[in-house]
Amino acid sequence: MIVEAGHFALVLAFVLAVVQFAVPLIGTRTGDDRLMAVAAPVTIAGFALTALSFAALTMAYVQSDFSVVNVWENSHSLKPMLYKVTGVWGNHEGSMLLWVLILTFFGALVAWFGSNLPASLRANVLSVQGLVGAAFLLFVLATSNPFARIETPPFEGRDLNPILQDIGLAIHPPLLYLGYVGFSVCFSFAVAALIEGRIDAAWARWVRPWTLAAWVFLTGGIAMGSYWAYYELGWGGWWFWDPVENASFLPWLSGTALLHSAIVMEKRSALKIWTLLLAILTFSLSLLGTFLVRSGVLTSVHAFATDPTRGLFILFILMLFIGGSLSLFALRASSLTQGGLFQPISREGALVLNNLFLTTATATVLIGTLYPLLVEAVTGDKISVGAPFFNMTFVPLALPLLIAVPFGPLLAWKRGDLYAVTQRLYAALGGALLTVLIALFFVDGMGVLAAFGVGVATWLVLGALTDLALKAGIGSVTTAVAWRRFRGLPRSVFGTALAHLGLGLTTLGIVAVTSLDVEEIAVMKPGDTLAVANYTLRFEEMTPFQGPNFTSDKARFTYINAWGRELGEVISSKRLYTARQMPTTEAGIVTRGLSQLYVSIGDPTADGGIVVRAWWKPLVLLIWLGGLVMMIGGTVSLLDRRLRVGAPAARKAKPKVLTPAETPAQ
Amino acid sequence: MTRKQKRLTVIGGAMAFLMLASGLTLYALGQKTSYFYMPAELQTAKLEPGQRIRLGGLVAAGSIVRGEGTQVAFAVTDQVHTVKVSYSGILPDLFREEQGVVTEGTVGPGGVFIADSVLAKHDENYMPKEVADGLKATGLWQHTE
Amino acid sequence: MFFWIIVACLTLIACLAVLLPVLRVRDSVADDSAFDLEVYQDQLAELDRDVARGVIAGTEAEQARAEIGRRILKLKAEGSTLAAKAGFGAGRIVLSVAILAVPLASWGIYAATGSPHLPSQPLHERMADNPQANPINELVARAEAHLAENPQDGRGWDVLAPIYYRNGRFVEAATAYRNAIRLLGASATREAGLGEAVAAVGGGLISEEAQAALQRALALEPDNPKARFLLALGLAQEGRTEEAQAAWLAMANDLPQDSPWRGAVAQMLGSKAEVQATPGPSQDDVDAAELMSDNERAEMIGNMVAGLDQRLRENPQDPEGWQRLIHAYTVLQRNEDARDALVRGLAALGSDSAEGAELKTFAAARGVSAAD
Repeated sequence: MIVEAGHFALVLAFVLAVVQFAVPLIGTRTGDDRLMAVAAPVTIAGFALTALSFAALTMAYVQSDFSVVNVWENSHSLKPMLYKVTGVWGNHEGSMLLWVLILTFFGALVAWFGSNLPASLRANVLSVQGLVGAAFLLFVLATSNPFARIETPPFEGRDLNPILQDIGLAIHPPLLYLGYVGFSVCFSFAVAALIEGRIDAAWARWVRPWTLAAWVFLTGGIAMGSYWAYYELGWGGWWFWDPVENASFLPWLSGTALLHSAIVMEKRSALKIWTLLLAILTFSLSLLGTFLVRSGVLTSVHAFATDPTRGLFILFILMLFIGGSLSLFALRASSLTQGGLFQPISREGALVLNNLFLTTATATVLIGTLYPLLVEAVTGDKISVGAPFFNMTFVPLALPLLIAVPFGPLLAWKRGDLYAVTQRLYAALGGALLTVLIALFFVDGMGVLAAFGVGVATWLVLGALTDLALKAGIGSVTTAVAWRRFRGLPRSVFGTALAHLGLGLTTLGIVAVTSLDVEEIAVMKPGDTLAVANYTLRFEEMTPFQGPNFTSDKARFTYINAWGRELGEVISSKRLYTARQMPTTEAGIVTRGLSQLYVSIGDPTADGGIVVRAWWKPLVLLIWLGGLVMMIGGTVSLLDRRLRVGAPAARKAKPKVLTPAETPAQ
Repeated sequence: MTRKQKRLTVIGGAMAFLMLASGLTLYALGQKTSYFYMPAELQTAKLEPGQRIRLGGLVAAGSIVRGEGTQVAFAVTDQVHTVKVSYSGILPDLFREEQGVVTEGTVGPGGVFIADSVLAKHDENYMPKEVADGLKATGLWQHTE
Repeated sequence: MFFWIIVACLTLIACLAVLLPVLRVRDSVADDSAFDLEVYQDQLAELDRDVARGVIAGTEAEQARAEIGRRILKLKAEGSTLAAKAGFGAGRIVLSVAILAVPLASWGIYAATGSPHLPSQPLHERMADNPQANPINELVARAEAHLAENPQDGRGWDVLAPIYYRNGRFVEAATAYRNAIRLLGASATREAGLGEAVAAVGGGLISEEAQAALQRALALEPDNPKARFLLALGLAQEGRTEEAQAAWLAMANDLPQDSPWRGAVAQMLGSKAEVQATPGPSQDDVDAAELMSDNERAEMIGNMVAGLDQRLRENPQDPEGWQRLIHAYTVLQRNEDARDALVRGLAALGSDSAEGAELKTFAAARGVSAAD
C-alpha cells in the first residue's frame, strides 16, 4: 500500500509538473498575475509528492519488499541497513528518481526563496523548471518505473552490485546530482530571460547563488567520486579520463566559466549574451552527461542496464532542451542590449581570459569524449581516446590559466595596471621560484616539468594569500587596523581566495602524485618483505573472514619505517559477494600525513604466494582536500550578504537613497 | 591604438588561441587514440610496429597460465581465432575464463600480444560493450537473459 | 480502502495547490522594476562599504557609482514592464482545465500503470505470517550476527557450515569450514565437509583442492563415507571409471546397513534394487536431513550436467565441453543421452575435423559410438 501510494504520488507529481509548466507561462504571456501566482505552490506541492514517492521506495528497500521488482533486482535481505538505503539510487530507476527529486527540490527552493524576484521572472523560471521536471518524470514513469510489482514475490533479492556497496554510494551520487541538477536553475533563469527578452545586471545577481550552490555540490561530487574510485577499484588511480568522469567534469568546467562571467555581468552589465549562453550550455552538458551515462552508449559501472528505448527517450529530451533553448537563444539574443566596454588589461579582461581557456578546455574534453562515438557511427572503427590525449590537450590549456589566476582578483575593473599588480605579487612569485629550486635540488626523482608544476601550485596558494593580505592592507597599515579590515572583508573575497587556494592545493597533489609516486609489485609469501619508497611491508598472514553478504580473504601486512620501527598494520582483502558471485578488491590504505601507502592484493600464485601491488602516494590527499577547500570557498561566497537582497516591500516603497546616484559624478 | 584596432587585436588573439587549441586537439586525436580489434580482425589489420592497440574478446577456457612472479599468460579468443597475450601485474577482479576482456598494448614478436593493461570493465552481463558488439557481428554470441 | 483514502487526500492537496493561490486575496504586487532597483541600491551600498574599507580607489568608485546610476536611470526610462492586466475570463478557463486535469490525468495514468490491488509485502511480515517459509534464514542470520561479534568462536562456524551448505551457499560453507578447522583443528567431518563445499562451488567438480581436503579427512578417519564417496566420484570424473566403481563397491560391502550413504552408493553402482533391499525398519533410523541431502546431491549432479548440456547447445564450439558431457552421461549410465551428445558434438565440430575425430575416440573409449 505504501508502495502504491508512492507510485500514485509520482504520477501526481508528473501531472503537477505539467501544470507548473503551462499555467504560469500562460500567465506571463497574458499578464494574468493570478495564473503566475500558481507557480510557487504547485512547485512546492510537486516537490512534496516526489519526496513522498522517494520515501515510499526507500521504505520498500528498508523492509526488503521483494514484491517491488526494483527492490528484488537490487537488494538482499542480508545487506547492511546503510546499503539498503543507498541501494535505492544504486540502480537506474532509483537513481533517476533521485535525479527528479533533486530537480523538484531546486524548483521548490526557487519558489520558496524567490520572493526577491520579479513576479513574471519567477513564474517563467518555475515554468521552465516545470517543463524539465515533466520531461524527466515522464521518462521515469514510461521507461524506468521503480514501482513495477511482482504478483508472487520471491523470498530473496539479487543483491546490489558489490562495487556499489560502499559508503561512497551514500555521498557521491546525491552530491553529483545536486550539482548537475542545480545548474537546471541557471538554465531556467536563462530561458526565462530569453522568453521575457529582458536581461540586466540584476539578473546576474539573482542567478549567482544558484550557480554557486550547484558548483559547490558538483565540485564535491566529482572530488568524492574520484576518491571513491581511488580506494574502491584497487588500481590506485584517482582520475582515468573515463567518459563517465568526463561527463561530470564538462559541466564543472563550463559551470566554473559561468560563475566567473556572471561576475562581469553583475558588476559591469557586460558579457550578458555570453553568460546566457554559458548557462544554457552548462545544463546542456549536464543533460549530455546524464544521457551518456544512462543510455548505455558507454560501458562502465555507472551504466546499470542498457535499454535502447531509454537511450532514445533521453536523447529526445536532450534534443528538446538543448535544441529548443539554443533556437530561442538564436532568435532572441540579438535583441538583448550590449553592456559596458573595458580594456583588455582589467578584471573583466582577466575573467574573459578565464572564460576563453575554460570553454576551450571544455571543448577539448567534449571532443575527446564524443570522438570515439562519432568515429564508430561514421566508419564503424572502434577507437579509444584515453589519458594521453587529454594530457596532451587539456594540460597545456590549464597551465596558462592557472598561472593567470592570481592576477585576476588584483586587477582593477575597467582598466588595470598589469605592472603594478605584478609588483604586488613579487612575494608570491619569489616563493614559487624558491619552491621550484627546492623541489629540483632536494627532492629525489623530481623532473623539471614536475618542479615547474610544484611552482605553479605554490604560486596559486601564495597568490590567494597575497590577495587577502593586500585587501586587508597588511604591511601598509598598522596590525590592529589590518586585522579589523581583514575581519571586515566581504565574504565573497574570502570565497574567491579560498577557491583559488583550493585549486592550488589540488594542483600540488596532482603534480606530486603523478611525478613522485612509487609503485612496487611482487609475489609475496608470509614473512616476505617488500620495500615501497621509505617503508617496508611485511606480509604476515592470510585469514578467511565472513561478512554479512560476502566472504573474504584478508591479507595482513605490517609496515615498517626506514629505521626499522613497526608502525602498524595494513589489511588488504579480496571479497566474494555470494549472491552475485562477484569478487572485489578492498585496498589497504594507510595515511601518513597527507600521503598514503596503498596496498592491493591479486590472485594467489601456483606456489602459494599472492601477488601484491603497493604504492607510495605522496601528498595524494591534497587532491581531494583542495576540492574540499574549493567547496568551502564557494559556500563562504554563497553566504555573502549581497546575495541576500530582499524583496521590495510593496509598490509604495519609493527608493529613498537615490540622490547620490541620480547625479553621477563625471 | 584606436578602439577598433584594440578590439581587432583582442579578437585576433582569441582566434589565434583557438586555432592553436584546435590544431593541438587534431594532432592529439591523430596520435593518441588507439584502435580496438577482435582477434579475427587482428589477422588482417595492418599495424605499424609498436603501434598501441586494444584487443578484446573472451578469455579462452583453460588458457590462463601463471608464470614466474607476476607474469601471466592467457589467450583472447572470438571463438574463431585466438591470440596469445602476456601480461605482468594484477589481473582485475572480474577477469575470468570465458568472460569478456579488453587488453591494451602492442603486438610483440611471434604474434604474442604484450599487454600493459587488462580491463575486465563491463556491465552486469559480464561483457564489455566492444566485445559484445564484435561477437554479435560475427554471430557467435547471443544475448541470453 | 485506506489506500484509496490516501489517493483522495493527495489529489485534494494537489488541486488545492493549484486553486488556493488564485483564491487568496492579493495585494498589489511590486513592480518588476522595483526588484531591479533593490539590487542596484544594494550595489551602491556595497560600493560605499568598499570605499569606507579603502579597497577601492576614489576615481574607480566614482566611475562605478556613475555606472550603477545609469542603470537606475535606464530602469526608470523603461518604466513598468508589467503588461496591462488581462481580464480574468481567459485565466478562469485555464485554471478550470488545470484543476480538472490534475485528478483526471493522474487517476488515468495510475490506472494504466499501477497495481492498486497489491499490498506492500515487507519481508519480516511475510516471515512472521509464514514461519515455515524460511526458518533457516532466521537461524543463519542469528548465528551470523553472533559470529560477526565473536569471529574466534570455532563452535559457531562448525554449526553454521553444514547449514550454509544445505542452503546452497557453498562459498560461505567453505569459508565456515576453513574457519572451524583453523580454530578447532582438523576433524574428518570438517575436512570432508570442506571438500564437499569446495566441490560444490566448482559446480560439482572434485577439484585438486577438494581432493586434498577429502584425503585429509580419510587420513583422520579411514572409513569416512562422505570422503570415500566423493573421492570415488572424483575418480569417475577423471575417467577412471573402474577404480571408482571398485571404490563404491567396497563401500557397498562395508557400510553399515543403516548408513544413509547406501542409497547414493547404490545409485552410482546403478542397481536401484539395492535400495529396496535395504531392510525397511532401518530406514526409520536414517536421519531425514541426511537423506535429503543425498537426494539433493543427486539432483545437484543432474543439474550440473543439464547446465553443461544447455551451455553446449548455445555455444557448441567447445570440444572439451563435449567430452565432459559425454563422460558425465556415461558415469550416470544415461547411455542414450551420451550417444545423443556425441552426435550433436560431431555435428558442431564437424565429424571430419581433428577435434571431431578426437571426440569420437574419446567416446569410443567409453563405449559410446554415434552409429548404433
